[in-house]
Amino acid sequence: MALWPPRSRDFRAGEGQDSVPACAPRPPEPLIYDYGIELACQKQKEFVKNSVECKWSLAEAQQKLGSLALHNSESLDQEHAKAQTDASELREREEEWRQKEEALIQRETHNLWNPDSVSKDVFNKSFINQNKIQETEDEDKSKSFMQKHEQKVRHFDFEASFIRLIDKVTNGSRIEINQTGTTLYYQPGLLYGGVLEHDCSPHRSIGYYLESLLCLAPFMKHPLKIVLRGVTNDQVDPSVDVLKATALPLLKKFGIDGDSFELKITRRGMPPKGGGEVIFACPIRKALRPIQFTDPGKIKRIRGTAYSVRVSPQIANRIVDSARSILNKFIPDIYIYTDHMKGASSGKSPGFGLSLTAETTNGTFLSAELASNPQGQGTAVLPEDLGLNCAKLLLEEIYRGGCVDSTNQSLVLLLMTLGQQDVSKVLLGPLSPYTIEFLRHLRSFFQIMFKIETQPTHEELKGGEKVLMTCVGMGFSNLSKTIK
Amino acid sequence: MEEKDRKKHHKKHSGPKADKKRKRHLNDLGLGEDEDARKRNPKAFAVQSAVRMARTFHRTQDLKTKKHHIPVVDRTPLEPPPVVVVVVGPPKVGKSTLIKCLIRNFTRQKLIEIRGPITIVSGKRRRLTIIECGCDINTMIDLAKVADLVLMLIDASFGFEMETFEFLNICQVHGFPKIMGVLTHLDSFKNNKQLKKTKKRLKHRFWTEVYQGAKLFYLSGMVHGEYQKQEIHNLGRFISVMKFRPLTWQTSHPYVLADRMEDLTNPEDIRVNPKCDRKVSLYGYLRGAYLKNRSQIHMPGVGDFTVSDVSFLPDPCALPEQQKKRSLNEKEKLIYAPLSGVGGVVYDKDAVYIDLGGSHAHQDEEEEVRPNHELVQSLISTHSTIDVKMASSKVSLFMDSKPLGSEELENQESVMPKEEKQIDVKTGRVRRKALFEGEDDDGATDEEDGQGEEMSDDETEESDGGDGDEEESGEVPGEELGLRSAKQLKREETNEEMAVELPAFADSDDDLELSSGEEGETGLDGSKKEAEDDEDEEESDENESSYCDSESSNRRISKFTHCETGREYKRQRENHNLDGSSGKKVVSATDSGNCTADETSESEAEGSSLEEEESSDSDSEVEGSDRKGIQSASEKNVDGVEEEDGDVENLLKEEEEYGEENDFSSDTAGALKWKEDLTQKAAEAFLRQQQSAPNLRKLVYGTVVEDADEEDDADEELGGLFHVSRPDKESKQKANALDCSKFPVETLQDWDLDEVMNSIQDCFVTGKWEADKDAAKLLEEDDELYGDFEDLETGVVHRGKPSVEGDEAGSEGEEEDKEGKELKAVEEEEEKKRKDKKRKLKEMFDAEYDGDATYFDDLKGEMQKQAQLNRAEFEDQDDESRVQYEGFRPGMYVRIEVENIPCEFVLNFDPHYPVILGGLGNSEGNVGYVQLRLKKHRWYKKILKTRDPIIFSLGWRRFQTIPVYYIEDHNGRHRLLKYSPQHLHCGAAFWGPITPQGTGFLAIQSVSGTMPDFRIAATGVVLDLDKSVTVVKKLKLTGFPFKIYKNTSFIKGMFNSPLEVAKFEGAAIRTVSGIRGQIKKALRKPEGAFRATFEDKLLMSDIVFMRTWYPVSIPTFYNPVTSLLKPAGEKDTWTGMKTTGQLRHELGIRLKQNKDSLYKPIVRERKHFNKLHIPKALQKALPFKNKPKNHEKKAKPTKDQWRPAVIREPHEKKISALLTALGTVHSYKIKKAKLKHRQQLKDYLKRKQKEEEEKFKRQKEAKKKLFRIMGQKEKKRQKSSLKGAGEREK
Repeated sequence: MALWPPRSRDFRAGEGQDSVPACAPRPPEPLIYDYGIELACQKQKEFVKNSVECKWSLAEAQQKLGSLALHNSESLDQEHAKAQTDASELREREEEWRQKEEALIQRETHNLWNPDSVSKDVFNKSFINQNKIQETEDEDKSKSFMQKHEQKVRHFDFEASFIRLIDKVTNGSRIEINQTGTTLYYQPGLLYGGVLEHDCSPHRSIGYYLESLLCLAPFMKHPLKIVLRGVTNDQVDPSVDVLKATALPLLKKFGIDGDSFELKITRRGMPPKGGGEVIFACPIRKALRPIQFTDPGKIKRIRGTAYSVRVSPQIANRIVDSARSILNKFIPDIYIYTDHMKGASSGKSPGFGLSLTAETTNGTFLSAELASNPQGQGTAVLPEDLGLNCAKLLLEEIYRGGCVDSTNQSLVLLLMTLGQQDVSKVLLGPLSPYTIEFLRHLRSFFQIMFKIETQPTHEELKGGEKVLMTCVGMGFSNLSKTIK
Repeated sequence: MEEKDRKKHHKKHSGPKADKKRKRHLNDLGLGEDEDARKRNPKAFAVQSAVRMARTFHRTQDLKTKKHHIPVVDRTPLEPPPVVVVVVGPPKVGKSTLIKCLIRNFTRQKLIEIRGPITIVSGKRRRLTIIECGCDINTMIDLAKVADLVLMLIDASFGFEMETFEFLNICQVHGFPKIMGVLTHLDSFKNNKQLKKTKKRLKHRFWTEVYQGAKLFYLSGMVHGEYQKQEIHNLGRFISVMKFRPLTWQTSHPYVLADRMEDLTNPEDIRVNPKCDRKVSLYGYLRGAYLKNRSQIHMPGVGDFTVSDVSFLPDPCALPEQQKKRSLNEKEKLIYAPLSGVGGVVYDKDAVYIDLGGSHAHQDEEEEVRPNHELVQSLISTHSTIDVKMASSKVSLFMDSKPLGSEELENQESVMPKEEKQIDVKTGRVRRKALFEGEDDDGATDEEDGQGEEMSDDETEESDGGDGDEEESGEVPGEELGLRSAKQLKREETNEEMAVELPAFADSDDDLELSSGEEGETGLDGSKKEAEDDEDEEESDENESSYCDSESSNRRISKFTHCETGREYKRQRENHNLDGSSGKKVVSATDSGNCTADETSESEAEGSSLEEEESSDSDSEVEGSDRKGIQSASEKNVDGVEEEDGDVENLLKEEEEYGEENDFSSDTAGALKWKEDLTQKAAEAFLRQQQSAPNLRKLVYGTVVEDADEEDDADEELGGLFHVSRPDKESKQKANALDCSKFPVETLQDWDLDEVMNSIQDCFVTGKWEADKDAAKLLEEDDELYGDFEDLETGVVHRGKPSVEGDEAGSEGEEEDKEGKELKAVEEEEEKKRKDKKRKLKEMFDAEYDGDATYFDDLKGEMQKQAQLNRAEFEDQDDESRVQYEGFRPGMYVRIEVENIPCEFVLNFDPHYPVILGGLGNSEGNVGYVQLRLKKHRWYKKILKTRDPIIFSLGWRRFQTIPVYYIEDHNGRHRLLKYSPQHLHCGAAFWGPITPQGTGFLAIQSVSGTMPDFRIAATGVVLDLDKSVTVVKKLKLTGFPFKIYKNTSFIKGMFNSPLEVAKFEGAAIRTVSGIRGQIKKALRKPEGAFRATFEDKLLMSDIVFMRTWYPVSIPTFYNPVTSLLKPAGEKDTWTGMKTTGQLRHELGIRLKQNKDSLYKPIVRERKHFNKLHIPKALQKALPFKNKPKNHEKKAKPTKDQWRPAVIREPHEKKISALLTALGTVHSYKIKKAKLKHRQQLKDYLKRKQKEEEEKFKRQKEAKKKLFRIMGQKEKKRQKSSLKGAGEREK
């Protein structure tokens, strides 16, 4: 979306090696207008030839009208009236065409003739109410409004993208958003899966979308293989690296495993523009195994990734050094990969960051991460500071402890809830506010209540208090999976 | 004398027994002939072929693994629900008789009428729920789904009937429960041989249907209208030891076979609209899986509902508490069948109803009262909704919800004496089954409350006449009358309170406690007075009843105190209270309008109530040897203790709560308060790094009280009219906050400090390990383990560390001065050590010798572990909190409230029809497209037509829908079929409820009435669920060429517009004659025409067509079979949508056939082909033999070649005729002679052969003789020679 005011150039002025040119300033008014039309066209995919043609002819007529006005000024009024009627007629015709087109589309979707192949397009996929799009269409009116409420619109944007994603992975779900965008009606369909692509909004990182996909993917009809594009690492959401390092092994504990279970980062994209790409593939399961995961074990190694895109490759090394300086006091087995992406795989914005993972003897993964401030926001961050802080965050996470790190608490609780009608147990660190809210949701949705027991620390030097969560699964089974 | 008479025992010397003995003896001696073939003849067992060896090994392994089932976690509860025994059979086969006999066998009680399920205790570990299944196919289907054991009655004198087979097939589809056949009417056979034969025949047929070796029982005959006692006893034994395999559907879904139903609808609503939707509570044992509150259920025959409330009740038919070696005593042989009117005590959520009457002592009293009852009864029967009022007014009423007519009463009266006599003989106890008097009593009192002013006369009469009520009603009536108007006004309110009552009971028992305490008092008073009045045996019983009554009335009144009008009553109550202070507190509590009271008052009340209960206990114990009295008292006691426990817990919790916060429970009105600062608290808690452990649960889920309480808080009412909905600011803020799963660290600890760093030191492998995992320690232990041992071969004794010895020595030395306690400790330690050692050794041994644990064993072990964990995890918790974690576990007796039930369910309730509440899993309440694999049943006479409505039984449901049949082509296309194939599986798709894949189903055409033929039309299994479905049918588009170039043609008539053509560019087309082609591009001029290329030139007469597939839409029609809503007696007449065929038949509309699709005789014109013309050039090139030969045309035969016809003279004609005749004769003669000759030859040959054979025989004989002689001679010679030799030797 180009509606945001151009970013200032002084992005990370503190760093000498920042050679990436900031986006060029553009004349605001006309560009935005053009962009708006383009955007409308782009968004309205069903808008095809006829209506466009009509528009052109309308424009032509208007032009003619203009020229007429220039040429013969005496019969100006007459001609003007004529042209106006012409224009209105054209408008009518356009409307008519549109109607026809719509009818045609409808008919097409209803009776799909397809020669000698099983039609797969009969899914009654839902659509997001057009009205909302029209709202963005007549932009010139609400331009100032948009500028005023940039943050809120942003807020809405990634949610819209999320809804689209949900629409993509499901079949038969109905989603309706009212004109003002304040209410959402969602009627769930069946999880369908398959091979998909999705452009995530750059306002939230891919992790935001991936988190929900991790919950849903094992219960699809067809194994999910999705390409997600957008921001891979940011400061808000759990990054793809962390999810790959912690969430995937966690899912494996529940019996979701196999060759096709992977999360691959093909491109890295940093905020604000993104441009990263992630491939997530997950097999399907009929039911989940219950887990008894009460002993986290001891941390045997620490791994991590220091990444840098569109900045000097030296930055990653600086991060690694500083992080190691702290962690080496605890354990010698540390390896932090430096991941410098170049060219197309480096996304559209510069940035760097570090994600650390501590692995225990019992297969617990605790992680921490930190990313640089996005270009043009906040002050510049020194890679050394970032490394140090991230290492400290990891130590904090270790202090919190538990068998699952704080990011994945809700995921593990959900999967426990969705298990067979058996007792599952997991030891967690302190519950995050998000998890607490999530637990309430679990109760209201599934009528599942967890037994929450606090485990006091007995003079051992093993960090803070832990919480033992116990529940009986609800006996969920994958209703989408086909049996042959 | 006797010894002499007795025969002496002879040892057997022959026969199988003797052989066995001999063999054993030989084996013992080690001389057994078949000691080991392998040992005797090792060569024969040597490996001959490695391949064969491998094969045999594989085979045995295959056979072994084939026996395995996938191990499943055993989820049977510790106290399982009663086993559902369904008694099925065609009419008049003796089902009811069998049930009666069985019940008599188990409980020594006689039932007159069987209605609904009957639960009995059959053994120390088993209870049975016996239910009779009628012949209505709806009932059969429903009961097959819940049955654990089926007793299939078969009339042996008649043979199998269709119902039997139908039921078997239904069972097969819905998971096979255990089936036991019972042959009845065996006494109709006079001929023993015939009987034997029939038995065998039936047995084998039964075996083929069920499984080889299925148990079949023979009930040989009737004695006084009952089956023979011994046979029934045996059958009972079989039932009570039977083991059951878990069925997938049953174990994965909770279900309840309701044995009691009550209507709870607000009577005002019914008055306003008699057809309004009802609120109904259903009771029964929960089976299958955990039931969650507010989950979806399906009631077969009624529809889908959401459970509005579940609560568990004390088990009305509990198993004996402690396990003893002996068999059950009479007290423990319980029976519970409220629908049949049996079963003494009926529990409701908050009250206990005890069924009285029927005893001799009451008889005269009852007779006095009777007219009154009849009046009431008639009223009940006229206003059928009266029981509803009773239920809502919370006065004890008897369970039988069906209004009894006066004539019914008469009937019962006539049967009554018999029953009573029996009981008298047995125990002389008051407790009794079907009691209509007591019920009437209760009903009447209930009714007064519900009815209002006009009944007040009756009420007073009633209370005078009633046995237990009197004190209470004597006290209360004034208040009650005063309150009544208020009550009528506030009925809605009270109703709502009813809904909220569970939590009050569940958690904050203070209110209940108080009231119960008072009840105790009043009850005691009553009982004392009673005691003064009459020193009867039934005294304690009455005490009981009064107790109950007073409780209920008290409850009623305490509810009124919520309204402001109940002031006087409070005063009254105060007076009645013994403890003044507590009474005061009660007042304050009631003033606040909420149930909760101060902790102190709570505890006080607690104490007092406990006292009361105890005293009442002792009273009843002293006074009565009454079974019921003791039982209920003990139950009370238990309850009290439990409640106390709960209280203590509460107290503890509240104390532990943040110190600075004032007591939440004290400010009862502002219960929202804690909620408001919840988030703030949360923040605090997290800042303090989670120090407050016990409150975590409270933090997450709110109070321990269920959400119902929260709801109560939420919709606080203003003047009973307006809801106060306070927007929760915090929650709103939270909703607008960024939703992110990350848990940001707010205050980072200073990780540079050593202390901080040390705090996580042990999280790393570099840190300190636990004792049981530390490598060094483990090594040490191993040393200990292997410490002392003696090498047996060499006799060397290895010594470990002398730590133990030293210990021993030390203990020896210190023995005198140390005390026994420490010694004991040391001993214990040693014992522990020894045990540890033993265990370790055993583990090692196991590892060494049972090392070949297979994957299967591992899996089984895992499952077992899980099962153990499941059982153990929540065992130590009380049911109240356990229910919150797990849901209601199977085996509990639950009360399920369901709202919005159609009124017909209540109005047309027939206890003979089973009411089942089947829990639905997640999203099983949704509808979508379901794809099935279906096969028409081989016994069903017709085939099924696509889009004909059909009734499916799938999951819990029975519903009518419109399926579409299809078959899957090789490329995975689902092609529509017009009819289901005859003997083939096909696919079917319909729009209906989503049911898990792998669920079996069956289809029937109609459920109404009886059909002569087999009713089950199809069976199959669910394959796939989706929100869209892709069934296609073939559509051929045809067109005609209008311009033909070489291989290119212009085709028209296939499409209507260029757009359509554009969609099909590149599609394959074909002519009827088989020339293939492709669509290229649309043409401009005729709309829809296009250019196409073919592999050959077309003709103008060719028809071009394209095969396309058109998606078929599946009608979205789902119509649940609502058979239970039909009026009584017509429940098997449900008809849904009719097929077009049926409609046509009924309306007499004949099908108009398309003329084009009629078959007509094909008339083919003769085709004339032109002569083949071969071009000259080609002719030249042909080889000679293929060259057309230029035969010269034959000339016409010349005159001389042409022979003229001869025309004979008459004479010549005669001659020739004669000659022909003679010739014929001659030829006939010759033929005859030939035949004769052939015959002769045949005979001759036969004779000859015979002679030959004889000759051969003779020769053989002769030869034989000769050889024999020769042989003898030879022998002789040999003998002589041998002899000679011998002689010579000698």
